[in-house]
Amino acid sequence: MNALTIKALGFAAILIIATIYVVMSMDIDLTDRVNAITMGGAIAIAVITAGVSVKYINQMKTDTATGDLMDDNWDGIGERTNELPSGWAYTFLAVFFWSMWYGLIGYPVDQYSQIGEYNEEVLEHKATYEKKYENASPEVLTSMGKSLYFVQCAPCHGNTGDGLSGKAQDLTKRMSKAQILDVIKNGSNQLKYPMGMMPPGMASGQDAEDIATYIAGGLKGEAPASYAACTSCHGADSKGNAGMSPDLTGYDNTLVSHTLQNGKKGIIGAMPSFKTMITPIQEKALAAYIQSIAQ
Amino acid sequence: MFFHWLEKNPFYFALMISVVISFAGLLEIVPNFAQAARPLSTEKPKTVLELAGKNLYVKDNCIACHSQMIRPFKSETDRYGKYSLSGEYAYDRPFLWGSKRTGPDLHRVGNYRTTDWHENHMRDPKAMVPGSIMPAYKHMFTNVADIESAYAEAVTVKNAFFTPYGPEFKRTRAAWEAHRPKVIADAKKIADDMKDEDVKKAVANGEVPEIVAMIAYLNSLK
Repeated sequence: MNALTIKALGFAAILIIATIYVVMSMDIDLTDRVNAITMGGAIAIAVITAGVSVKYINQMKTDTATGDLMDDNWDGIGERTNELPSGWAYTFLAVFFWSMWYGLIGYPVDQYSQIGEYNEEVLEHKATYEKKYENASPEVLTSMGKSLYFVQCAPCHGNTGDGLSGKAQDLTKRMSKAQILDVIKNGSNQLKYPMGMMPPGMASGQDAEDIATYIAGGLKGEAPASYAACTSCHGADSKGNAGMSPDLTGYDNTLVSHTLQNGKKGIIGAMPSFKTMITPIQEKALAAYIQSIAQ
Repeated sequence: MFFHWLEKNPFYFALMISVVISFAGLLEIVPNFAQAARPLSTEKPKTVLELAGKNLYVKDNCIACHSQMIRPFKSETDRYGKYSLSGEYAYDRPFLWGSKRTGPDLHRVGNYRTTDWHENHMRDPKAMVPGSIMPAYKHMFTNVADIESAYAEAVTVKNAFFTPYGPEFKRTRAAWEAHRPKVIADAKKIADDMKDEDVKKAVANGEVPEIVAMIAYLNSLK
């Protein structure tokens, strides 16, 4: 080992140590495949640079040219009549044929597209997401619902779910008296429940008033006699006959899901459908969160 | 002869090199571009009322804070809906992609916001979104939108760029007078979903307040 080799090894060592120092101080996760490859590449470059420099600087000190000089020379600079180095020649031929093949046949047309990468990302996420939250606990669903709520629902229903003083449905309560009266008067089939259309005019006058007061009051106390018209479809417990018609007591899972799927237009205004934006698990999560903020 | 001359004039030599390379670029870029810029088959040109709204979008410089370009990343499509395709902008002159998102993207805002939401929000953004830094656009409730210029624009792009507006779009005052009730009818549909009495009254009188055109445009972004 001569002095030059030692210097080069020292230089390579400094480069490697500097690289590792930078990586450590930047808190880079080396278990990530891409980071590990980059790190390996940096170390390889340091070693190869040092190695190649040493080899050729040493060779330059001892090498002498062989072979006959050509007759022609240019300003005193001449060439020798040596054969091409065989390694160089074969590499040249190989690259020539490879580039012909790559340029004309092998070029990966349509191998990559931005949309393709997006589709892969979505499919991969969907698979892990659905597995992870298939049997999620109520707490997990509620916290997922909360974060979803702030992105998709809060702009209209407000951060606390109060409907921004009448600009949207108040999610802490079920329905106001005016809303109930409107539905009784006009009927409704916007949520597309299996029970189908609620016909207009199921009750009127004082009966409708009584029903609306009873439901808006949270179904407490004695039900008015006219309320029997409602229970035939909405169930004796007013909870919607196990998903056949809307729950009148609160926001059960089917009510949240049907509303998100179909949107709704009432006396406050219109809510668009979120069919393409919200997955079934997210619907459950939103229902869990909305149930948690109910008064 | 020509090559000898060219080799001795570096400037013209460089110029010829650029021409040759640009030609190859043209061959690769132009056909792809022409293909991708074709309108989607589902794409309809904007109605006159929506065009008036688009002109307000430009005039009030909404593009300074809002983009209209959903990139194909999951984080974006989760929030805004399907990623944008170039064919969707085919009838936009100018397209309003924007490059700054101080506010959210608006390319599919018509899917998840409604007329009454826009009405409340334009009057007082903070009442709807507490942390919002968007200014209120109260003047839109009183200013009258220029639907006549919007009609002229429709006729112009029909003649100049073959945008598929119907045969009733003609360059005459009579054609505009015949089309005007249609615009007012569109405006009335929007105003019916609004709460502001002055706006309703103005539309009933055959005037289109800016807010109506603006909401029509925002609702058309789907």
